[in-house]
Amino acid sequence: MHILVVAAPAFVASVVEFVEALTIVLAVGMTRQWRSTLIGVGAAVATLVVIVGVFGTAIVVFVPIEILRLVVGGFLLVFGLQWVCKATLRAVGARAKHDEAAIYERELALLSQEPPVATVGMDWISFTVAFKGVLLEGLEVAFIVVTFGASAGQLGPAALGAVVAGVLVLSVGVAVHRPLARVPENGLKFAVGLMLVTFGTFWAGEGIGIDWPGGDAVLFVLLAAYVGVSLIGVWAVRAMLRSRRIPLAVSVGD
Amino acid sequence: MRYVRAFGAFWYDFLVGDRPELFLGPIAALVVAWLLVGAEVAPGITGLVLFLAVCAVGAVSLYLTTRPRA
Repeated sequence: MHILVVAAPAFVASVVEFVEALTIVLAVGMTRQWRSTLIGVGAAVATLVVIVGVFGTAIVVFVPIEILRLVVGGFLLVFGLQWVCKATLRAVGARAKHDEAAIYERELALLSQEPPVATVGMDWISFTVAFKGVLLEGLEVAFIVVTFGASAGQLGPAALGAVVAGVLVLSVGVAVHRPLARVPENGLKFAVGLMLVTFGTFWAGEGIGIDWPGGDAVLFVLLAAYVGVSLIGVWAVRAMLRSRRIPLAVSVGD
Repeated sequence: MRYVRAFGAFWYDFLVGDRPELFLGPIAALVVAWLLVGAEVAPGITGLVLFLAVCAVGAVSLYLTTRPRA
């Protein structure tokens, strides 16, 4: 399997998650203390690297490839379907879109209720909020990197895709110094969800013994078919909601 | 015990969340495909059934989420 086929989904998924993590980090850093915030970010990144290194390597070394592909494929199917369904609902307005600017304002309001920043030493609130935010958003990245990398036997390219995404989002975030509200998160989540479902179907199918006609090339057929079906799904749900005149969602959402 | 419960709750929320059909549906789809593999149905047909079953799970979940409530 070409390394780009493995690295691309990890890259796109990571961009989405890192944009969300950046919003939290910026809110904490701007309102409290950058030093403790960045230490929290560093600690979370180190934890994620350990998770990917330990679990990724252990899975590749100890788990037979057929079982690995069945389990990983199953997880990717579950995960991918969740992303696609949520993105479909957001696309038609039945679920609130992820609004980074609104989330940023909400975080600022929450942080303003905390005790003042310590004048000396660590600000543990900054550390904890940044650590938790980056770790929770990064766990999805770690999950995708480990599953894609292990199943394709290419942990390096998958991890590289995530690292490039992290560097890119961080660089833009440092340059503009505000949440990346213009990133089309819903479109990216739709794309990632479709990729996860495609790889999930392919690998889980191999795991249960399907000898896919055309080998790896069937991935492109599956992806095109899932894209087509999901677009029909968006059209159908939108038409159904319009016929019932259901109001659009307006809250910030998760 | 509290930590074990919290750990379990985290993974439940991570994998199942608020749409259990999106967790159970793909598993059921894979079981059906596995039975077809066992019955030596052609791989292309089995793959197509798996694909259609996954699409059906998504469609059912979207319907359940957006259906009119009494």
